[in-house]
Amino acid sequence: MSDKKRVSRRQFLNYTLTGVGGFMAAGMLAPMVRFAIDPVLKPSGAGGLVSVASVEELTNEPQRFEWTVDQVDGWYESEVQRTAWVYRNDNDEIVALSPICTHLGCTVDYGSNEEYPDQFYCPCHAGRYTKDGVNVPGTPPTAPLPPIEYEVREGMLYLGEAQSEGGV
Amino acid sequence: MRYIKKDSKQYIPEKKYIDTMLIPLIPIDPANDQELPKQAFLRELNQVFTAIIEKEYRGRIFLSPDYYYLNGHHEKEIERLNEWIARIKQQPFQHIFLFTFDAKWRKYESKVDAEVIWVPGLGTGDLQSTETQSFIKEQAREISEFIQSHWS
Repeated sequence: MSDKKRVSRRQFLNYTLTGVGGFMAAGMLAPMVRFAIDPVLKPSGAGGLVSVASVEELTNEPQRFEWTVDQVDGWYESEVQRTAWVYRNDNDEIVALSPICTHLGCTVDYGSNEEYPDQFYCPCHAGRYTKDGVNVPGTPPTAPLPPIEYEVREGMLYLGEAQSEGGV
Repeated sequence: MRYIKKDSKQYIPEKKYIDTMLIPLIPIDPANDQELPKQAFLRELNQVFTAIIEKEYRGRIFLSPDYYYLNGHHEKEIERLNEWIARIKQQPFQHIFLFTFDAKWRKYESKVDAEVIWVPGLGTGDLQSTETQSFIKEQAREISEFIQSHWS
């Protein structure tokens, strides 16, 4: 062994300290970086969409579709049933509406009142909404039925959360 | 509405709309090994029913905490039950319904100051089975129609 290749005590300590220090710095920084870019790493919102029906089933008449999602609500984790009224409007666009009355949260039905066969009707306080979900003035609800997020993939209709602002 | 903080806070300003109280009437007999599983099942079934009705009509029906009584003590319970009802009426609730699978209440119907909804329960069953679920859905629909007929 020649003198050249010998590592001095000083050099050896330098290398080890830089190495260990580097690991420590990396260990501290990695979670901070992850924290900073956290929103990017979250699974996208589309993960909450559930395949409910084939697009071909949809008609001009609103139909009731039901599906279940897992919901964590404070202490309770439960399977919750979701419902939506879905139809194609005159422009052949899909409309998906939440059945939750914006007045006090009852479940509305389409065409269940004989006097208003082409409206959504709330059995609790006779609240009404036109087919496009707009509340009829003079009835208790003060906001339209919230639309439900939807997507069409490979001929299947996927439904998600109600896009509610306001309401209950 | 359920008997929880959030719903009760919402109830107070909207009192005039929420005029119906639904009370589950549930018998218990913790000393009886034979009755225990049956009664526990009926308690579960009762909660499933009332939860469905509450969900559909939460803007008008307030679901009361369960009323438990020792099996066979109907006669003794009438006074206490009527005290509950009297308090509830002070709110004011216009329509009070008692929901039970216990057929013996039919005998005391006239002594209770509320409407008794009696439904023949299921002896034993599996709440997860499709038959039970369709039975529950159908019965729940009929019960809500019965309640609605009191509204108009």
